[in-house]
Amino acid sequence: MALLQIAEPGLSSVPHQHRLAAGIDLGTTNSLVASVKSGLPETLQDSNGSDITPSIVSYQQDTVLVGHAAEAFSVKDPQNTIKSVKRLIGRSLSDIKSKYPALPYEFSGEDNHPKLVTRQGEQDPVQVSAKILSQLVERAKSSLGGELEGVVITVPAYFDDAQRQSTKDAATLAGVNVLRLLNEPTAAAVAYGLDSKQEGVIAVYDLGGGTFDISILRLNKGVFEVLATGGDSALGGDDFDIAIADHIIEKSGLARPLSNSLERQISEQACHAKEQLSSQEKVQVTLAFEDALAANSEVSFELNRQTLDSLIQPLVTKTLRSCRRALKDADIKADEINEVVMVGGSTRVPLVRSSVGDFFKRPPLTSIDPDKVVAIGAAIQADVLAGNKPDNEMLLLDVTPLSLGLETMGGLVEKVIPRNTTIPVAKAQEFTTFKDGQTAMAIHVLQGERELVEDCRSLARFELRGIPAMTAGAAHIRVTFKVDADGLLSVSAMEKSTKVESSIQVKPSFGLEENDIINMLQDSMSHAQEDMDARMLKEQQVEATRVHENVSAALAQDGANLLNEQEREAIENALAELLTTSQSSDIAAIEQAIKDTDNITSTFAERRMDASIRTALAGHSVDEV
Amino acid sequence: MNYFELFGLEAKFSIDLAELSATFQALQKTVHPDRFAHSSSQEQLLAVQKSAEINDAYQTLKQPISRGEYLLTLRGTELPSEQQSFQDVSFLMEQMELREMLADIEHASDVDAAIFSAQETLDIQSQNIWQKTQQLLDKNNEQDNIAASELLRKLKFYHKLQIELERIEDALFDD
Repeated sequence: MALLQIAEPGLSSVPHQHRLAAGIDLGTTNSLVASVKSGLPETLQDSNGSDITPSIVSYQQDTVLVGHAAEAFSVKDPQNTIKSVKRLIGRSLSDIKSKYPALPYEFSGEDNHPKLVTRQGEQDPVQVSAKILSQLVERAKSSLGGELEGVVITVPAYFDDAQRQSTKDAATLAGVNVLRLLNEPTAAAVAYGLDSKQEGVIAVYDLGGGTFDISILRLNKGVFEVLATGGDSALGGDDFDIAIADHIIEKSGLARPLSNSLERQISEQACHAKEQLSSQEKVQVTLAFEDALAANSEVSFELNRQTLDSLIQPLVTKTLRSCRRALKDADIKADEINEVVMVGGSTRVPLVRSSVGDFFKRPPLTSIDPDKVVAIGAAIQADVLAGNKPDNEMLLLDVTPLSLGLETMGGLVEKVIPRNTTIPVAKAQEFTTFKDGQTAMAIHVLQGERELVEDCRSLARFELRGIPAMTAGAAHIRVTFKVDADGLLSVSAMEKSTKVESSIQVKPSFGLEENDIINMLQDSMSHAQEDMDARMLKEQQVEATRVHENVSAALAQDGANLLNEQEREAIENALAELLTTSQSSDIAAIEQAIKDTDNITSTFAERRMDASIRTALAGHSVDEV
Repeated sequence: MNYFELFGLEAKFSIDLAELSATFQALQKTVHPDRFAHSSSQEQLLAVQKSAEINDAYQTLKQPISRGEYLLTLRGTELPSEQQSFQDVSFLMEQMELREMLADIEHASDVDAAIFSAQETLDIQSQNIWQKTQQLLDKNNEQDNIAASELLRKLKFYHKLQIELERIEDALFDD
């Protein structure tokens, strides 16, 4: 039997160690991973010395390729080579088809849960994202030389709940612990803010491949407070490409439908032309046709910057409209902005730079590579969250991008949490019955700014049953919305007179359900059941160690002040029990031991939290004097 | 602990907003879930709750209408419910006139001037009510508290007009 280790009283049981953590920018077009190495954040390179990985996954006969290797199959094998999957996650098929009619993929599955049909079978967009994440995590592990404590994954600030949840699900499938989902503009602000020690109000204009975000932040002594955020989760450089592609088709005298391979070729030419026109005044567009019988095997013509500008002007104007609304929401005037930060590859387009400069009346900042700045900010936060900087003053206070509400009579939406509310947040709203003797209620959760249900995005539906039969309007049902620091929503409901909390099965309108994820995980493992058990055992053991470390440290610090003899003894007994149990391989027993420790320490944890609040208040008022 | 206590403030209407914001940041630096990212699930949950409570307290105290209403609730004054009918007929008449003023903006010959003058009208009238409300809240007796709650209800009407004016402004300049 292994000997039990006991630490010296007053000391944490484990010496401080550097925990490995990484920041991942899971982009529409490109993805990156970065980490803080010897105090400095840097992007990590693959074995070919490249730090940018194209967000492309190709399903070949016996293998799945990711990144540059997959890119080679983009035109050759478009149906099995998935590009820009970020535009598909958490979306319905009808959504996707109306927004991107020319995608070369075959879809299957329900409208709200579409899957991509590939040569390796049906793939959920979440699974495709997981492949990209896996590769980046592997790169971080080998570059940092060990297992990761966890990662920070960035998402567009304007991502809705389904898109955020799907991103987190992709991480679960990739087998990596998510320390936090971080909004991309906030990550960029961290990279810039810490670099320049900037104070005051900044605007972050983030135009990526598929998404647009604008965030207004106030920077003050290490606190990054997001005042307002706005944007469009389906507007980006890809849309510039689509506008150029439509123009190319028109100029070439072609008509849709075109072959998948030709569509890919045109979209790559469009993207190439856009990039060239960032530094040149004109560019030659050339299309080669495979069809030998065609009259011309090639079409070639010139595209100049003026034409490009006129094609994308409406899209740029749309982003400026979001900027104006965000300023209004933040209650800030354009001339109060101290700095404008540009993020995302699409901000290289000259029209974007000049338009943003004109709008904010100042030249935008581009000193950090717009492709890397988000990953770098994420790496800095990952380092802090992993606990490597205990004295760090940095704190990010983010907001909900979209209002959250419930459907009420007549197809109207009652807002429960307005947009731009600082998270985490918990808000309750009371509802009552419409008919005498009504015992059930259908609850429909929505996200968006419009008044009608049909104009908002459906997040979930559930039924509240077992309401005591009363006259109409007598029952009081309290529905509580909680949004955590990742921006993820959970909903609970309670009938007030009976205090009965209804057990709610929230069925997400989009994305995966928990069972789907477990099934996918099992499918991906060769010895499904054993592997799953091994994984769960490890997870429980890690959590047990974490609880043990935390409580031991807390006892050493505050045990004497906040606990009486009896309470202290009870906690110490639970800890000893936890330590013994955690070395067994009984998953259920470890889980129970953690639960027991949690229960017995809950009062202690609350007292500690209250004590730290009192200390913060006291320290703060001393500062003021 | 009520929201004022949570922020170490005396329970009164006039507060220093800069200090409120500084206290808010200091408190969040202590309890925000990011401070507990590698703690046990129990501590993480507790941090989310506390952090959400502080956010809610901050929002409530920051906005004058919600701060006034919260103060009255603490004093045991029952707030008039939204459904309760309004007794003050002349106030309702004024509100209808203000609505008409807003509706007329888009037909004005000089839209900018019309928006400016509408804003001025709303500001002057609501500031008048704010002044009275503040005096009543400072007196803090049962009758004045009830009167203050009625005035806060009126201020909510002005708040809605303000939102409407911004909506009109947005719509006019969006094209």
